Amino acid sequence: MRRSPSIATPLAVIGASLVIAACGTGDSNSGDDGSSGGTSAGTVKGGPGVDVAAKTIRIGDINALTGPASALGKPVAAGHRAFFKALNASGGIDGWKVRLTIKDSGYQPQQHVQIYNAIRNKVALLDSFGSPPTKAIQALLDRDKLVTTPASFDSIWGADPVIAPVGTPYSYDIANALDYYTKQGKDKPKIGIVYQNDEYGQDGLRGYKAAKDKLGFADGGRQTFKAGDTEFTAQIQKLKTAGAKAVVVVALPSSTGPIVGTAAALGFKPQWILQGPAFLEQLITKDGSLNAKPTPVAAALKGALVTSFSAPWGDPGAPGMKELVAAHDKYEPGQPPSIYFALAYASSKVQAAILRKAIGDGDLSREGILKAKQNLGEVDLGGVSPSVTYTPDGGPPSTKSLITRIDPSVDGFLKPVEESYGSDVADGLGTGG
Amino acid sequence: MTEFLQLLFQGVSLGATYALVALGFVVVYRASGVINFAQGAMLLAGAYTISWLATDIGVAFVPAVLASVALLALAGAGFQAGVLRRVAGEPTFVLVMITIGAGIAVTALIEALFGADQRLLGDPWGSSSFHAAGVTITWVKLWGIVVTVAALAAYFAFDRYTRWGLAMQATAEDEEATLSLGVPVARVHLITWALAGSLATLGGLFLAGFPSSPQPTLGDAALRAFPAIVLGGLRSPTGAVVGGLLIGVTEVMTSGYAPSSLGDNFYAVAPYIAMILILLVRPYGLFGRAPAERL
Amino acid sequence: MRRVALPALVVFAVLLPFGLSAAQLTTATFVVIAAIGATGLNVLTGYAGQISLGHAAFVGVGAYTGAVLGSDHGLSAFVWIPAAGVAAALLGALLGPIALRLRGLYLAIVTLGLVFIAQHVFFNAGGLTGGPQGRAFPAVQLGAFDFSPGKVLELGAVTIDSSGLYYFLALILFAAATAFTWNLRRSRAGRAMVALREREAAAAVMGVDVGRVKVTAFVVSSFLAGISGALYGSYLSFAQPDQWSLLMSIQFIAAVIVGGLGTTAGPLLGCAVVFALPSLLKDLPFLPAEGSGGLSAGDLTSITYGLLIVAFLTLEPRGLVGIADRVRRSRGNDTPSKTPKLTVTTPKEAHP
Repeated sequence: MRRSPSIATPLAVIGASLVIAACGTGDSNSGDDGSSGGTSAGTVKGGPGVDVAAKTIRIGDINALTGPASALGKPVAAGHRAFFKALNASGGIDGWKVRLTIKDSGYQPQQHVQIYNAIRNKVALLDSFGSPPTKAIQALLDRDKLVTTPASFDSIWGADPVIAPVGTPYSYDIANALDYYTKQGKDKPKIGIVYQNDEYGQDGLRGYKAAKDKLGFADGGRQTFKAGDTEFTAQIQKLKTAGAKAVVVVALPSSTGPIVGTAAALGFKPQWILQGPAFLEQLITKDGSLNAKPTPVAAALKGALVTSFSAPWGDPGAPGMKELVAAHDKYEPGQPPSIYFALAYASSKVQAAILRKAIGDGDLSREGILKAKQNLGEVDLGGVSPSVTYTPDGGPPSTKSLITRIDPSVDGFLKPVEESYGSDVADGLGTGG
Repeated sequence: MTEFLQLLFQGVSLGATYALVALGFVVVYRASGVINFAQGAMLLAGAYTISWLATDIGVAFVPAVLASVALLALAGAGFQAGVLRRVAGEPTFVLVMITIGAGIAVTALIEALFGADQRLLGDPWGSSSFHAAGVTITWVKLWGIVVTVAALAAYFAFDRYTRWGLAMQATAEDEEATLSLGVPVARVHLITWALAGSLATLGGLFLAGFPSSPQPTLGDAALRAFPAIVLGGLRSPTGAVVGGLLIGVTEVMTSGYAPSSLGDNFYAVAPYIAMILILLVRPYGLFGRAPAERL
Repeated sequence: MRRVALPALVVFAVLLPFGLSAAQLTTATFVVIAAIGATGLNVLTGYAGQISLGHAAFVGVGAYTGAVLGSDHGLSAFVWIPAAGVAAALLGALLGPIALRLRGLYLAIVTLGLVFIAQHVFFNAGGLTGGPQGRAFPAVQLGAFDFSPGKVLELGAVTIDSSGLYYFLALILFAAATAFTWNLRRSRAGRAMVALREREAAAAVMGVDVGRVKVTAFVVSSFLAGISGALYGSYLSFAQPDQWSLLMSIQFIAAVIVGGLGTTAGPLLGCAVVFALPSLLKDLPFLPAEGSGGLSAGDLTSITYGLLIVAFLTLEPRGLVGIADRVRRSRGNDTPSKTPKLTVTTPKEAHP
């Protein structure tokens, strides 16, 4: 019979554990919500993500820094950073400084949920990248009453009080673009659509369907694919066989290239209509700058229509652009000019406006910030993006579209053809569903 | 009809690339009984090396390709010598898992080094094409077929007419006996893996051609070549080539003609379904034979 | 030695959650949930020697069964957790006859095909799975116990939060699974499995019903995978079809190998290494800030992961248990090694 080894060690473990056991597991243990709560000398009420004593507010950003949308997510993160660094440098909001917590969910709804659960008690406002991931946390945002500015223009956000979208919804853009396109010619051409098989694609589809009902063009085929897919022979072949003269593309840039490229390789050349995020400067030249080496797919993309959402970089007609470019040059000089940077800058501006109002009302709790957002009214974005309006009734923040055409010879490659196009089709859309 | 021809051309071009990949698998399996799950990673490494040399370093395209083929051949041989040789006696399962682990590590390393965005391949053909009989023929796909045929011819000549080819066949048949005959079996294994690396590079090159591009998901194509080697029988190079062509054509034809009711991306699983059905009837593939077991 | 160590181990496992931070507890919970599935795979690959790359498919089937029965039909967890196991087991039983006809690497490739086909179905059966967008999964509710996030359970002075509840449930199920498979190993069916693993033809000659044994192994393995999947989906609360991928299958195989194929402690040890790795690597000091380019935590995890598999198999194919064995024997304790030799049938083929 072997000698039993000492049981002193297990007993010690047990003893130590019993001491700890008097507390609790996981979340119930720590009050690490970063809030110092309560009122501070009757000035401003605090809440999660707010440090009243240090006058610091924390904003979370669940971004897509890896994965199929990373080329868009990185400029967005840069835009947020630049805006708040500039803001803090000039005194913050009435002396309140803003800090960012940037995390990466890789455009995966699942990761997004995990990260959200980890940071939800530590932030006062949230940025959330992408329609599918934001949709995954929407119920949680509603439950936690956390005001969120998504980097996504889905029309369903307009119906949700805690969400503050910063631009015209995709469905409106597509509806407006199709209205514009069909009014160019005399006949009603066949129009097809190739869209991502998730929430992002759904919104483009809504616009397409509304336009089809109202304008009466023929169906050139509706093809789907998964985000990140790069093989499109099936979809393109079907659109080609159906005889589509124009094709709406609701994709991310990593798929747009293969979509348009496969069509070119198969000898199919429709009028491409790209929903905003489907386009990226790097689709035209190697690094997105004007004089760099053109990509193989640049030729096929020439003349495509793109519904964009911010003024061209450095646009002298947009007063806010000067401040944006200055912040970019000072704080994020490594970031090539990008409409995503501008978008993020604009949405951070909206967040600053919300916070300013909440501070003015003396209430930085979740409820206070929500109330501030709902009663914000119109926010002027200096022409960087069309101004947005938030009211208690909800609805899309704006309904007009910026329609551009791809031109490899201009900086940024997008030449505006319609600055602020609206249509009856779009007006009939409402919010989602 | 032109539609059919167009798809057929795409299918043959894709099939040629799969044939290269499948051959890479078979070469390794024949010599060592290992299915090289790192083939996809080698494919990826090949494409990225060419892209890096041609676009970042500025090397001319053909030298870049040749250099990459040489580099990957070295890498393959190095992996065999440095890792696999140490576990020579272990069951095949262990070796397979090692290749899986190596594949995961290499794929992630490439992504860490180059980022996840699409890159430019640096090939001179780009999207250029010409028309024939109503079919659009892209130069890159045409060259893919030509290079594959040349590579396959070179391999079969090597296999049949050189001493090393004979040595590889002998090692595949019975390693111990071959060793006892004085054949430098260790060197045979090195050559086998070097070959696998070179074939993978060529496969990767054309898989990354227009309208695709070097990107981290290229390695998945190797997984689609599996039905090819199974259909051909794991040990038959001819089978691998035939299987590769079949799978490529099936994949594109399914893309073009499959009804939407079968779901998006049905073409990706069609070869596997076909493979399972065939295996139910012929458990050792179309060209394989059941082993005789001694008790 | 096991007789004294086991109660101590149990106590340690029960008290562990109270000493961990929220993030660490999350990891530990995932490890235990995965260990249930790994225990199943250990039966199939460790005892019966069948290579299966398809484990993720069974886990996914279990998860979606749980979701459909639990969320869409509002049934209780007492129903959907076992049902998940049963649904996955049925799929495993279907695979049995195919496994019958195939050996070694051909079987491996077929199970590879299974993962792809299952994912294809998951991606397209939007009504059940939410399609590429993904869907929410039900939180466990066992009578009065509500495992939803945010809810806590108070037992006198002790508070257990949602993570803790999942941890304990998983622990109980894991213990049951381990007890079952431990018994199985020593039963007639278990011995038949080992005979099958060692030499299939010889086993057949000896009178082992090869077909039945293979099917049994698949059924047990997939049942446990299904249970694991149901808990996994529920704890994750939201998942996309991407989740049940070849990578997940490989993680399970890596876990059983790293732990020690065919051993009792192997599955849990292996899962502890494989599934805790991402969280451990995430906070390394030399990693650049998220998203600022260069090496990402995700890439580093994959690289380490792959290297670990290679290293373990090159240096100690018997996994952690094998290492423990070696350490024990080098200390002079000369009990013969209990770790089975790593045999998995892959017969050499005739030259065509």
